[in-house]
Amino acid sequence: MEALGFNMDAGFLEGVVRGYKGGLLTTANYHNLTQCENLEDFRMQLASTDYGNFLANEPLPLSTSTIADKATEKLVSEFHYLRTNAVEPLATFMDYITYAYMIDNVILLTLGTLHERDTHELLERCHPLGVFDTMPALCVATNVEELYHSVLVETPLAPYFRDCLSAQDLDDLNIEIIRNSLYKAYLEDFHAFCQTLPSPTNEIMSRILAFEADRRTLNITINSFGTELSKDQRARLFPTIGRLYPEGNNALARAEEIEQVVAAVEHISEYKAFFDKAGATGGGGGGSGGAGEGEASSLEDEFFKYDVELNKLSFLQQFQYAVFYSFVKLKEQEVRNLTWIAECIAQDAKDRVDDYIPVF
Amino acid sequence: MSSQVNLKDRNLLAVIGDEDSITGLLLAGIGHVDQHQKKNFLIVDSKTQTSVIESAFQEFTERKDIAILLINQHVADKIRPSVDKYQAAFPALLEIPSKEHPYDPSKDSVLKRVQKLRGD
Amino acid sequence: MSGAGPREAIFPTRMNLTVTKGRMKGAQTGHSLLAKKRDALTQRFRQILKKVDEAKRLMGRVLQLASFSLAEVTYTAGDIGYQVQESVRKASYTVKAKQENVSGVVLPAFEGVRSKDASDFAMTGLSRGGQQIQKCRDTYVKAVGTLVELASLQTAFTILDEVIRATNRRVNAIEHVIIPKLDNTIKYINSELDEMDREEFFRLKKVQGKKKRDAEKANEVRKKQKEKEEDEGEEGGEKDSRDEGLKGGAEGGADMLGEKDEDVIF
Repeated sequence: MEALGFNMDAGFLEGVVRGYKGGLLTTANYHNLTQCENLEDFRMQLASTDYGNFLANEPLPLSTSTIADKATEKLVSEFHYLRTNAVEPLATFMDYITYAYMIDNVILLTLGTLHERDTHELLERCHPLGVFDTMPALCVATNVEELYHSVLVETPLAPYFRDCLSAQDLDDLNIEIIRNSLYKAYLEDFHAFCQTLPSPTNEIMSRILAFEADRRTLNITINSFGTELSKDQRARLFPTIGRLYPEGNNALARAEEIEQVVAAVEHISEYKAFFDKAGATGGGGGGSGGAGEGEASSLEDEFFKYDVELNKLSFLQQFQYAVFYSFVKLKEQEVRNLTWIAECIAQDAKDRVDDYIPVF
Repeated sequence: MSSQVNLKDRNLLAVIGDEDSITGLLLAGIGHVDQHQKKNFLIVDSKTQTSVIESAFQEFTERKDIAILLINQHVADKIRPSVDKYQAAFPALLEIPSKEHPYDPSKDSVLKRVQKLRGD
Repeated sequence: MSGAGPREAIFPTRMNLTVTKGRMKGAQTGHSLLAKKRDALTQRFRQILKKVDEAKRLMGRVLQLASFSLAEVTYTAGDIGYQVQESVRKASYTVKAKQENVSGVVLPAFEGVRSKDASDFAMTGLSRGGQQIQKCRDTYVKAVGTLVELASLQTAFTILDEVIRATNRRVNAIEHVIIPKLDNTIKYINSELDEMDREEFFRLKKVQGKKKRDAEKANEVRKKQKEKEEDEGEEGGEKDSRDEGLKGGAEGGADMLGEKDEDVIF
């Protein structure tokens, strides 16, 4: 039923985004890229893909950060093109996508302000997808409350800040907590918003967001082992959506070591598979500490792979908005892959060059 | 011996280098910001003026609390005359490779001396 | 002989000769000791030289590994550079200087010290890439360890280089300046002393000659007086006594000449 009216508003954009998706690098492209001897070759190879001559005007020698910046720029320009052409409710949906980057930018600026950094330098470092008008004004705030009242109240992030106004001083621990509570609030809000959208958008998005939430929950748990983050605080950072919620979250909040984490995800076969696979590649066995390190490092890779998988699936269905979200995520992964390959080439570490995660 | 007293105070490492090198070294925990907000590292990018590097180099070599000064080789190349002129034992000057500029032993001012001495 | 080279500005006395000879002995002992020290240092220096060379090359590899682990972090956690720079407070990795003694030269040896509560950046990447960041941190800590080691080698290298140069200078100075100078001084004093001996002898001779002349004169006067007295008394014994006196005077003169000749030859 939705399919009837969909094309009136978003048919064109869906076509565009699917076109963009077609421009994502393929396995053959990646294979060619990994064969490059130096970054010159790398640029040549990219020139024959959808990226075209995006590096043509860069002065030699190329640095990997330039490649990453330029690739991100391309993603941003594509996104902006989609956003300017979007109408409600797709416009709101796409705004939601940018909020995640906004959170990072707000945190970055706050951190910089604390250390009295030059505002312009800070603004340059912000993620271009998360730029908003009142951003420069953030630099005047010295504590969370002031930050909220003077600036953020104007931005869409305002509701997310409600939970962390209690944090009085902005030290490193608190900033990281604020970042994560913001993100938690954002995920929950985005999830709620997606539920208001018609099927099948809501189904696909809730699947993707649930995974995103679970991934954060697991990561926060594993990464907070041995830090000053208390279990109480940890529990408050877990998003209240996702397949692990609520029993899994409760178990994770109490977890003290990696085995307990594994036990908590036992009933979800996909997640259990991550740990199994990660454990196998990480060498398994040995002391709990050593094994934990190995497991977790490739755990991230497994997460990325599954993320890509989910996002690819969303392209299988027509007449829904999740493709936009998935496109941004896939493109982001592609930028990461490019950076990784470029990095491997620049540093002459050919044995690791195949560790990227192919998208298509 | 006055140098002995100095040695006890010299316990910091200082870095002049590109962002990646510095990020890594800071991760290792060598970063230090004192009460006057003076840092013991300088980030050099393509826009950094040579004079800025030069003055940071002077400052770090004159500071009394620095035991080792690390400098990226490609940065050292920009101020090569000063680096080659620097002969003092403290702080010890080390040229380190950066991510994008692999180590070239033939440029290192100390290694040049080493090789000259080994050669004969 | 005495003007052949530079010498100490001292009076050529016997006491100074003894003193200078003592100094000469000291200089020779010092020379051999310094030469030994130089050899010991040079040996050490060569060892360090080899190590510096190796360590420098090793460092290249270690840092490459480290920057690669940073690339892994960038892959999972994004650009953390700024965050890391901003959270710098106090150094948790510092160096401690120890001292090592090589033939009287104090060589500093740095030692990396990581404070126990080194938990900075533990919160960085909490939600993403935290494990990679910790791994990267450990890699860099190891890399910094290598750097610190290299720094002590290099400092030792610089200091030893300097000390060896100084020792070399001293050895050469003793060999080519001090010892010849002392040698010259001793020769000078000897020659001056000889000269003085000769002068003294000549003077004595002169004094003796004068004394003899005076004595002859006095004798003559006395004789004349005697003659007068004898003339007045008895004329006979006068001639014998005068002959005797003349003969004695001629004999004394020949003796003196003989002695002088001997001295000149000597």
